[in-house]
Amino acid sequence: MDSISGLLGGFTALANPETLLYMVGGFLVGTFFGAVPGLTSVLAIALLLPLTYSLDVTTALVACASIFMAGMCSGSITATTINIPGAPSSMMTALEGYPMQQRGEGAKALGHAALGSMIGGSLGALLLMVMAPLAADVALLIRTPGKFSLIAFALIVIIISQRGSITKGMIATLFGVMIATIGIDVVQPLARFTFGTSVLVQGIDMMPLIIGTFAISELLVQADNRSSRTVDPSLIQAAKVRRRDFIPPLSEVREIGVMRYLKSAVIGYAVGILPGAGGSMAAFVSYAESMRSSKHPERYGKGNPEGIAAAECANNSMCGGAFVPMLTFGIPGDPTTAIVLGVLVINGLQPGPQFMTQQLDLIAPMFASLFVSALILIPLTLYLLGPYFLKIVSIRRDVLYSSIAIVALVGSYVATYSTFQMALALVFGVLAYFLRKQKYPTVCLLLGFVLGPSLEEYCRRALSINDGNPLIFFTSPDSLFFIALTVVFFYFMVIRKPKDHGLGTRPA
Amino acid sequence: MTSKPSSRQSTQRFALSGEFFVPAALSIITLIYLISAIQLGPPMKAGNMTASFFPIATAILMLIALICAMGHALRGKAKAPAEEPAADVDSSDDTSPSRQYAGLSLGAIGVIVLTAGYLLAFDLIGYFVATFVYVLLLSGLYGGGFREKWLTKLMAAIVITLAGYLLFEVAFQVRLPTLWSQ
Repeated sequence: MDSISGLLGGFTALANPETLLYMVGGFLVGTFFGAVPGLTSVLAIALLLPLTYSLDVTTALVACASIFMAGMCSGSITATTINIPGAPSSMMTALEGYPMQQRGEGAKALGHAALGSMIGGSLGALLLMVMAPLAADVALLIRTPGKFSLIAFALIVIIISQRGSITKGMIATLFGVMIATIGIDVVQPLARFTFGTSVLVQGIDMMPLIIGTFAISELLVQADNRSSRTVDPSLIQAAKVRRRDFIPPLSEVREIGVMRYLKSAVIGYAVGILPGAGGSMAAFVSYAESMRSSKHPERYGKGNPEGIAAAECANNSMCGGAFVPMLTFGIPGDPTTAIVLGVLVINGLQPGPQFMTQQLDLIAPMFASLFVSALILIPLTLYLLGPYFLKIVSIRRDVLYSSIAIVALVGSYVATYSTFQMALALVFGVLAYFLRKQKYPTVCLLLGFVLGPSLEEYCRRALSINDGNPLIFFTSPDSLFFIALTVVFFYFMVIRKPKDHGLGTRPA
Repeated sequence: MTSKPSSRQSTQRFALSGEFFVPAALSIITLIYLISAIQLGPPMKAGNMTASFFPIATAILMLIALICAMGHALRGKAKAPAEEPAADVDSSDDTSPSRQYAGLSLGAIGVIVLTAGYLLAFDLIGYFVATFVYVLLLSGLYGGGFREKWLTKLMAAIVITLAGYLLFEVAFQVRLPTLWSQ
């Protein structure tokens, strides 16, 4: 009962004008960043991170949740209208949305995308509210050796989910782990890898790493681009779209079917729980399943609303699932939840099994924000801003990237009032630029950095309580379970590689 | 008529191309890291892991992965036709190809130099002047120079500088350095 009233209290917290303002503002920012090709909701949340020093933690989490949800659905705008997915999670939507746009049904495709996002996002948020307390109870059963094996499982799955570039995923992850070892040792009071400088004794802060990896590297990548606007105005057709065009016909919704929406939402949620999978994987798996079980698979790829519904429902439902491992185990599976973890850490909070019960009042508004963003803000934004979407996303690049540079760099200054953090952000930005250019997944770098210290700590603690005997990892049932799970995932994802049926997706 | 690049030129280009350069540079960093880790002390003491164990293990795994990546790059180079120098896979992210210097495009070098200059100026001359000049120069870089719409760029620089001040100093109470506070 306590948890139910706590969760309902989250909705009450949204009635606070300041919190509501940040939720709506976050949603609009997320919509913009998700829709503009090259920008992502991860970048939006990364830019928000420095501001959380001055924000109330609940407000910051509410804003993060609404940015996450908005960023996941708004990628469908440019995916449908100009065949350029605003976010990787909308690649499947482009396959069906753009053919619909070509035959004059672009607004309807956007309507189906919004409806799918709305249903998937709200169901994902509801599943999160129901499942997270249960997952927290399970998390209480896991002891130190099991925690090590769980984190190792998460890191290995993150690496092997980089299909086609497992070596690069491994390098990026290990490099993140190496960066995390700089500073005071996790067990003993011993400074490591400071190279004689006092500034490194406290270790590398998460903020310059996030700002550098996601914001500065984007500035460097975009410096190669010669176009003056984010979206070529010639691609934007002058066709006038009426608001009622966005409402999908009931007959088509019926044809898609309630079960399709439900199944896609469950797939998206389950994929979200997996480390490293992300929105594009959720959309891909759901789209492939929808095509497999469809009565008319031959319609796929030619502008089928069923495909749009499956993909968008799954990628938005993924948002809810992604929070489960982060909140209950302290293990973020994707960059967004890693940054949300950063928000919690900045405010002196450490997620774990007890977190859901002890800090429910702080995180319940975030759950409510996910739900309200999906159920109300997605359709409302489409209805109010739909006709102007393409004008909004086609903006001057000089203004956009100069603004991002200032928010990113001055934001790095906020934590310690020192330009050292800004310089670190620049260094990590240049590093991430080189990695991105060579297709190294920078997400792995961030997750290696976040999970590395816990991996080391649990490994050393587990061994010290068992006199240095590594067999503890194989004799402890919880640890053995995660080792077995790792082997299963490795078998299915590496040895028996899943086929992509020529759908041309890539991992998030 | 195009002339074939010499074998030496091709090798130099390959060494500088990102596919080999990135893991090679990371190998150097990892070796320095490994040496520092070894200097921390023995990895095991009285049957327990010490502060150096985990970094040493990480560095060794990293070196193995980097050797694999470099081997992969070399195999790719061997397979590539002789007349085609090792291509830098730099055409990602929807950007047009441009001249590269050690894997960096001219635009990226420009952003790095401007940003480094901004960091130096930020503490010295304060937020307002440093930010205004930085934004103006960045606008030129992203907007294709100052020959077109220079007045818009100037106005944008003023607006962005003021907006940044309002966001950080006024809304979030971050004390930004000023020229008069130096």
